[in-house]
Amino acid sequence: MKRSIVRRLFQIISLIIGVIVMNFTLIQMAPGSLLDIMTSEQQVTDPATLEHLRHLYGLDQSPLVQLLRYTWSVFTFDLGYSYRQNAPVFDIIMAQLPSTLLLMLTSLGVAVTLGMIAGVVASVKVNKVWDVVISLAAVFFFAAPTFWLGIMLIIFFAVQLDWLPVGGMTTIGEQFGPVGHVIDVLRHLILPALSLGLFYAAIYTRVMRASMLEVFSLDFVRTARAKGLSKTRVILAHVFRNALLPVVTLLGLQLGTVLGGSVVIEAVFSWPGIGSLMLDSVMSRNYPVVLGVFVLSAVVVAIANLLVDLAYYRLDPRIRSR
Amino acid sequence: MTHRPPSAFLEFVVRFARNRGAVLGAVIIVLVIALALAAPWLIDKNPLRIVSRPEVWPFTNPRFPLGTDSIGRNIFAMIAYGARTTLMIGIVAALTATAIGVVIGAAAAWFGGWIDDVLTRITELFQTVPNILLIMTVVAILGQKIDNITVAIGITMWPGIARLTRAEFLTLKNREFVLACRSMGMSNIRIMAGEILPNAIPPVIVLASVIIGSSILFESAIAFLGLGDPNVASWGALIGDGRTLIRRSWYICAIPGLAIMLTVLAMNLIGDGLNDALNPKLRDR
Repeated sequence: MKRSIVRRLFQIISLIIGVIVMNFTLIQMAPGSLLDIMTSEQQVTDPATLEHLRHLYGLDQSPLVQLLRYTWSVFTFDLGYSYRQNAPVFDIIMAQLPSTLLLMLTSLGVAVTLGMIAGVVASVKVNKVWDVVISLAAVFFFAAPTFWLGIMLIIFFAVQLDWLPVGGMTTIGEQFGPVGHVIDVLRHLILPALSLGLFYAAIYTRVMRASMLEVFSLDFVRTARAKGLSKTRVILAHVFRNALLPVVTLLGLQLGTVLGGSVVIEAVFSWPGIGSLMLDSVMSRNYPVVLGVFVLSAVVVAIANLLVDLAYYRLDPRIRSR
Repeated sequence: MTHRPPSAFLEFVVRFARNRGAVLGAVIIVLVIALALAAPWLIDKNPLRIVSRPEVWPFTNPRFPLGTDSIGRNIFAMIAYGARTTLMIGIVAALTATAIGVVIGAAAAWFGGWIDDVLTRITELFQTVPNILLIMTVVAILGQKIDNITVAIGITMWPGIARLTRAEFLTLKNREFVLACRSMGMSNIRIMAGEILPNAIPPVIVLASVIIGSSILFESAIAFLGLGDPNVASWGALIGDGRTLIRRSWYICAIPGLAIMLTVLAMNLIGDGLNDALNPKLRDR
């Protein structure tokens, strides 16, 4: 157990280094240098100032030295400085990360809950009406672009019915108490979490259904039934528990794409997270922030993967004995 | 597939056709391809040109069967030309991803040792990085051109193919026929490409067809975010343009989204059918 955690930590560190090298290579490929973009925006032409800036940002050194310096600074939580926001990149990202994590985790919660319920129902009622309805819905939600689904939900629930807010994270210009504030954020969270969650719910439904059907056919299920346990008890205590494993594996594999998905959904719902920050930085070629978002999101995914591994370990005793 | 006897191909078609969803998917894709090919004959003008007053609703003017968008461009024209973009990007990106993935997966499994370790780490790296962020970064750096977007999607989608190819190669590389080739003194490349790959490719083809669907979704998201090629008609870009008008003219967003959904749906259904047809043993399990 301890050994596997240490191994994972090593993997995370090598992963971060990999992400840094990848990004650094990408940025070296870019047509204009960081300095060109920075100075053109501020209209700096004085050669002495340019030289000073070049030295200040370490751009007068060889790419390899720059890469080593950047790698080292990442491990000391220094992701550079954003001339655009005039603040350290790490602080800028950290300020935006919680709202993205909130969206991401809520969406995953929606996806796993809906997917598990739908998958179990479909597998118990296999080839009956409910199974067909659920499987069809899963096929559709798996093919619908999340951002488009989001817009359709806005049109229906926010514009036509006026039940929920169109976008944002809080109601601007309203003062709520602490409870009112939480309810306000939750109301803003429903549509974005649904648009992102339904896509992944579709995947989990299919995996859960297939996994349940496979476990149903195993011998120990027949034994449990033969012992006289009720059908509900067999399904919940025996089949369900064992059928969960593939879902957990998938969860770990998909965290990166869920984070990516929330970036797109943030743009649809004007959700103030790292998605909007990333989009703004990409548009303005603010590479330190782009690089920082990239590195930090990889770290978040790697840590979440570690947590998924631990969950897996708890769920499946066979792994412990290995 | 050409060197197989015709009966094997016939068997493939029969197995594929037994899956009704797959046949439906194939029909939809054929229609989308037909629309893409016929676009220049149906509307022999630049689809991005302003042709009418804005916000003409669908089915109200026979000249614009799907209406016009926020600045008066013909939505049907953009859907038809967008089909070309969508299919092109989907197919080329999936081919790129498959090529990269097969080479990396095959090399990792065949050579093993430290090469396997390094390649597996790289695969994990690409799998951990959020795809859309990588695509956004690549597009931002290389520029908003259609070929850059295609390449960017291709280089983010290969890890699944690499893992699958590696697993297939690992199970095949110690089989008798491979040992026989080795003892005959065949070169590594010849054994890998000529002997193992044909046996490993069926599941890869199934995954590649699903990747076409995912690539289409990624392209639409990139275009929707405003990072697409401004000179090319794209379904995603059309959704992005229509966003400001959802209160009055929501059809501008709805129509291209339906087009994307149908196309991706069709690709996924075809994937299911290919799975039935190419991996009959997996299915019987």
